[in-house]
Amino acid sequence: MAGNGEAKGSQQTGLFDRVWSWLKSTELFRSIYQNDYPRDRRTRVMVLTNNLFLHLHPNLVTRYSIDYRYTWGLGGLSLATFIILALTGAFLMFYYVPAVPDAYFSIRAFDTDVALGQFFRNLHRWAAHTMVIVVMLHMFRVFYTGSYKGPRKFNWVIGVFLYMLTLLMSFTGYLLPWDQLAYWAITVGVNIGGAVPFVGDQVRRILLAGFDITGATLVRWYTLHVIFLPLIAFWMMLLHFYRVRKDGFSATKPIPIEDHPILGKVKE
Amino acid sequence: MAQPADQAQGAQPKRPDPLDRVYTWPHFLIVEFIGLMVFVVLLFLVSVLLKAPLLDLAQPEYTPNPAKAPWYFLSLQELLLHMHPSLAGVIVPGAVLLLIAAIPYFDKDERGTGVWFTTRMGVDIYRYSFIYTTIWVTALVLFDEFVGTKPVLRLLGLPDSAVEFLGNIVIPVIVMLTVFLLLAWLVKRRWPNADRRHVFIAMFTVYVASFIVLTIIGSFFRGESMYLVWPWELTHPH
Ligand code: HEM
Repeated sequence: MAGNGEAKGSQQTGLFDRVWSWLKSTELFRSIYQNDYPRDRRTRVMVLTNNLFLHLHPNLVTRYSIDYRYTWGLGGLSLATFIILALTGAFLMFYYVPAVPDAYFSIRAFDTDVALGQFFRNLHRWAAHTMVIVVMLHMFRVFYTGSYKGPRKFNWVIGVFLYMLTLLMSFTGYLLPWDQLAYWAITVGVNIGGAVPFVGDQVRRILLAGFDITGATLVRWYTLHVIFLPLIAFWMMLLHFYRVRKDGFSATKPIPIEDHPILGKVKE
Repeated sequence: MAQPADQAQGAQPKRPDPLDRVYTWPHFLIVEFIGLMVFVVLLFLVSVLLKAPLLDLAQPEYTPNPAKAPWYFLSLQELLLHMHPSLAGVIVPGAVLLLIAAIPYFDKDERGTGVWFTTRMGVDIYRYSFIYTTIWVTALVLFDEFVGTKPVLRLLGLPDSAVEFLGNIVIPVIVMLTVFLLLAWLVKRRWPNADRRHVFIAMFTVYVASFIVLTIIGSFFRGESMYLVWPWELTHPH
């Protein structure tokens, strides 16, 4: 709509067009949205540089980047799940009480007493499982396309840290509902990870804040889950994205060894 | 060069761009936007249709049978059934993560970057390795369930401490290394042209396939007291 209204220039007559062009001329609108609808070279570049979020992208991308079968969007979807989890997680935090046994009852009340509570808890849970899957698939994509080579070496290492952080964020969240599923899955998980040679007992004590899973464990894992791990993960993601831009995205004209095995001939 | 006025209208410059690039807005952003919308809609649909589980209040005195870790740790829980806990829970996953992180520092040939599986041969090697790993992992799990190394070692008349040490540590390490290195050797023999990148494709696929196979076994084939069952025989933990 915006584009059409403007294109007619001074011949516009409709009410909508007139209101729209008045709106666009206001000081408030111009202070928020600093360029015209992106239709030509100049504005297409401006829309990216003027917007913090779009600014993660370069102004130009190679044609290869546009074929969704190259990345399947998995890196971007990892970020999307993270954002969904942060938003739904904040909503859960309004009601959640990290104490024994209040935690369990606060979750149950969240499902039944809070408007859309059940939906947002479902979304948080399924997005968490999805994030683990999507991050793993992203790692597989990067490996099988050989995108870890050359200047991207270290970004792969950052990625391995992000993989571990993703698992830890999911694992610490698993305990919080304090139901039978949570309690015993975490018991098994801590027994797996606590089998460190020589210092296993100490590691278990740090993980559990004691000898058993208690209210102290819950507070510790809650803190890790809602603040500590997401902050580190967010910071690492910024590094990760910065490096993707700086190292150059791998979807350029490949240095061929053979023709492309899946997509047919390497495009010339 | 195009005239400034033409450029302002969106005309591309006449000089060919060596990288063959296009404007991010709208060509790339539209793909990204559609992908995001499809993904978010699917997640919302799932969340409307499926409830997140909430069982009874945690009871520390009452252990459900079986007690399983979250699904992404089931592969490690499965290893735990077959070897020493330090090996299954810490040393093997730690070594795997270290090896994965080190890949770029050992595979530096940049040819083929940005091409799925690098070459057609890479696709074949990937398929071969996936099937190879699936067969090995399944066979090893079945062997340990129905025969096991320890009964065999006891038959040889070894003392208990030796049986424990060999069965829990030495044999699992040897078996894991064999599965891994044998594949590298087989790939080199079958595909004499395979360079380092192609051998790495085989080895990384060992990780991918064993994670998937072990997770499926742990989720759908481990029942009461972690004995093997068919998926339709699975009972709720009790
Ligand atoms: C929270 C987790 C992660 C997020 C949000 C994330 C996000 C992204 C995004 C948005 C890209 C741009 C290209 C694309 O979409 O594929 C990217 C590229 C990349 N990622 Fe990740 N990533 C994550 C985890 C990982 C992991 C686990 C690895 C590997 C172990 C990894 C390694 C890389 C590398 C090497 C690139 C550059 C690839 C190229 O240029 O083609 N990332 N990541």
